[in-house]
Amino acid sequence: MSRREEILKTAEKLRWDLGERVHDHTVEALHAEASRIAGKVIAVSGEKPAFNYERILDALVTNRWTGFPIMFLVLAVVFWITIEGANVPSSFLAWILLDTVHPALNQFGGAVGMPWWINGFLFDGVYLAMAWVVSVMLPPMAIFFPLFTLAEDFGYLPRVAFNLDSLFRKAGAHGKQALTMAMGYGCNAAAIVSTRIIDSPRERLIAILTNNFAICNGRWPTLILIATIFIGALAPPSLSSAVSSVAVVTVVVIGIVMTFVVSWGLSKTILKGEASFFSLELPPYRPPRIWQTLYTSVIDRTLIVLWRAVVWSVPAGGVIWLVSNIYIGDSSLAEHAVHSFDPVAFLFGLNGVILLAYIIAIPANEIVIPTVLMLTVLVTGMTELGSGAGVMFELESELATAHVLKAGGWTLLTGINLMLFSLLHNPCSTTLYTIYKETGSAKWTTLAALIPLAIAFLVCFVVTQLWALL
Amino acid sequence: MTFSWEIAALSVAAGTLIFLVLNRRRRRHIELIEDALKHLYNCEYTKVSCTLESLSGALGYGREQAAAVVSELTRSKFITLEGSELKLTSSGREYALKVIRVHRLWERHLADETMVQEVDWHKQAEAKEHSLKQEQVSELSRRLGHPVYDPHGDPIPGADGSIPAVRGIPLQTFNKNAVVTITHVEDEPTSVYAQLVQRGLYPGMNLRVLDKLSDSLVIQKEGIVFEIPLIVAANVRAVPEQRKKDTGPQKTLATLRPGEEGIVSGISHGCRGLQRRRLMDLGIVPGTTVGAVMTSVSGDPTAYRIRGGVIALRKEQAEMVFLQ
Repeated sequence: MSRREEILKTAEKLRWDLGERVHDHTVEALHAEASRIAGKVIAVSGEKPAFNYERILDALVTNRWTGFPIMFLVLAVVFWITIEGANVPSSFLAWILLDTVHPALNQFGGAVGMPWWINGFLFDGVYLAMAWVVSVMLPPMAIFFPLFTLAEDFGYLPRVAFNLDSLFRKAGAHGKQALTMAMGYGCNAAAIVSTRIIDSPRERLIAILTNNFAICNGRWPTLILIATIFIGALAPPSLSSAVSSVAVVTVVVIGIVMTFVVSWGLSKTILKGEASFFSLELPPYRPPRIWQTLYTSVIDRTLIVLWRAVVWSVPAGGVIWLVSNIYIGDSSLAEHAVHSFDPVAFLFGLNGVILLAYIIAIPANEIVIPTVLMLTVLVTGMTELGSGAGVMFELESELATAHVLKAGGWTLLTGINLMLFSLLHNPCSTTLYTIYKETGSAKWTTLAALIPLAIAFLVCFVVTQLWALL
Repeated sequence: MTFSWEIAALSVAAGTLIFLVLNRRRRRHIELIEDALKHLYNCEYTKVSCTLESLSGALGYGREQAAAVVSELTRSKFITLEGSELKLTSSGREYALKVIRVHRLWERHLADETMVQEVDWHKQAEAKEHSLKQEQVSELSRRLGHPVYDPHGDPIPGADGSIPAVRGIPLQTFNKNAVVTITHVEDEPTSVYAQLVQRGLYPGMNLRVLDKLSDSLVIQKEGIVFEIPLIVAANVRAVPEQRKKDTGPQKTLATLRPGEEGIVSGISHGCRGLQRRRLMDLGIVPGTTVGAVMTSVSGDPTAYRIRGGVIALRKEQAEMVFLQ
């Protein structure tokens, strides 16, 4: 027997004497050796400063009386800067991409003698969807993400997770889910990427599967518009904006409650057996590295997510145009679909237009309302509005939008259900693709789509049936 | 004859159904054979003789079914009959050890990499042992770091079928005041195992036998004193502990107030798998100085200074860390 085989044989025999604590002993020995070496080669110099601003800051942000007010203040400022700051670049982009380039492309198509259907498919379908997504999505993300990253870099966000952990623990989740939720209010797809900060497998899955209940940038305008048209209008004019704000806030709160309820349910059922561990590092405060933060948040978060959204909106734009322009018999595919969806949709207090819009506008919530308007005009035959079949549009005034929707048969109930559906329904395809990329699992991706969708239909159904009873 | 879609669809459905039924029967058959071999091996390992009757009793097979299994095992030269006693041949033993290896590796996986409850381990491993392919088994063993014992303290046979002798003796054979280390916690029957789990008894844990009563033992573990019936204690094996081990009450990390410090003496054995590994990776090992820094708004979690970093841990975790 060679020497090598002899050693292997002996080792094989000795394994049994290791016992079950071999891993513990190894780690203990490694730490002991590491601290022995560190003690020999590291010299600590200088005294701690008498005035320690870190300790005072920590005392303030974790104090029972000041902790939460500070948190709400910081978040409010971040959201306010995002909303106020995004308005100008958003309307600028819309002016360039939608009002200037789009007609120019159409003109160009006409000038070179393109057949109408190529022109329509490419410019009214594909280009318009892409341009719409970019102009609505880019500015808020480009402002929100750097601000968020700065707060993280400074060291404040881990303290928020620290303070909120006891709340999330009761739902079987991790305190850091507070941060991924906050991120979700900007963009769910980016928030899914940010769940990487949760290092425990079970809690990370919980954060991924429930992130949808944080209303993303693409859904805020929908909620505000519908709340203004259907709920604000119920109140006298002087109160209408206050009433519609209350309606939107209510939807946000329902979303937060759903996050906790679904997190709790998941941790008790399908995720019960997943590995779980809690730890939360509280790094020292440090001045944020502004340029580095700007660069990484724009490149890593904004552009990657935007690129995915663009990639998804291209086929969707094509589909939106095609279903409105391919005819079977006397009516387009879209009209056939809307009419066959109608009976089912009415059960849930929605209508066929809404269901079809949510199916074909799956790449981004930003284009749901433009698609709804286009389809409504198409189905009701109000051809004096909009720019033709398959061309998404928005109206300048809420009054005109309300007029179109009411002509499409919308009632207060439809409005309420649309708001609930918008909050609860499946994530957009960009987010689903990101979930697939992050989890590497078709199973979790499917669940991430089906759980919210089932809840959305269930809630709308219950609301509609109760409404009928009252 | 005209082609009919209905007939085509029906025949495809019928074909699929027949295939599924046959496949299920084939797999059920393999399970019967493998479970019988496993049982025979356990008899041999614990030096109990095994007959046709004991086999059918232990596995819940009917007499006829058991007889069929035995005759097939004899035909395949996995066992021989010596009188009424069933004996494994070397190829039978090899086969049994392969199945046992999968079972125990899977239990190790469930204990280390999931939060599946202890009482569910056995059942899940029973299902897995018949279905895992050989390559999957070697991959599993590699990923787990080629573990030596399963979470109950049973040795996991090597890929070559090597296995050591039984360790330890039944707990009730120890004298009063003996300090012991648990080497094995039997997971069958489930009702007894559930009691052991509820008491938090795991292999590797130190116990002191405080008193021996007529039908129970009084045990001290990590400062907690409790009584266990002899019939339950019989399912625990242990060896005497040579080093001096304290089984008395211990101070935990959770008792530290902000500003206080302590030195870690160990982590409770109730903390296992990922939970245990990550605590150790953070530097929570015997000898480390840990100081409480601050508590969150609601009082839990608490942040601790560990080797220069500040890490927040929840109360239930801090209670698992013992201080000197």
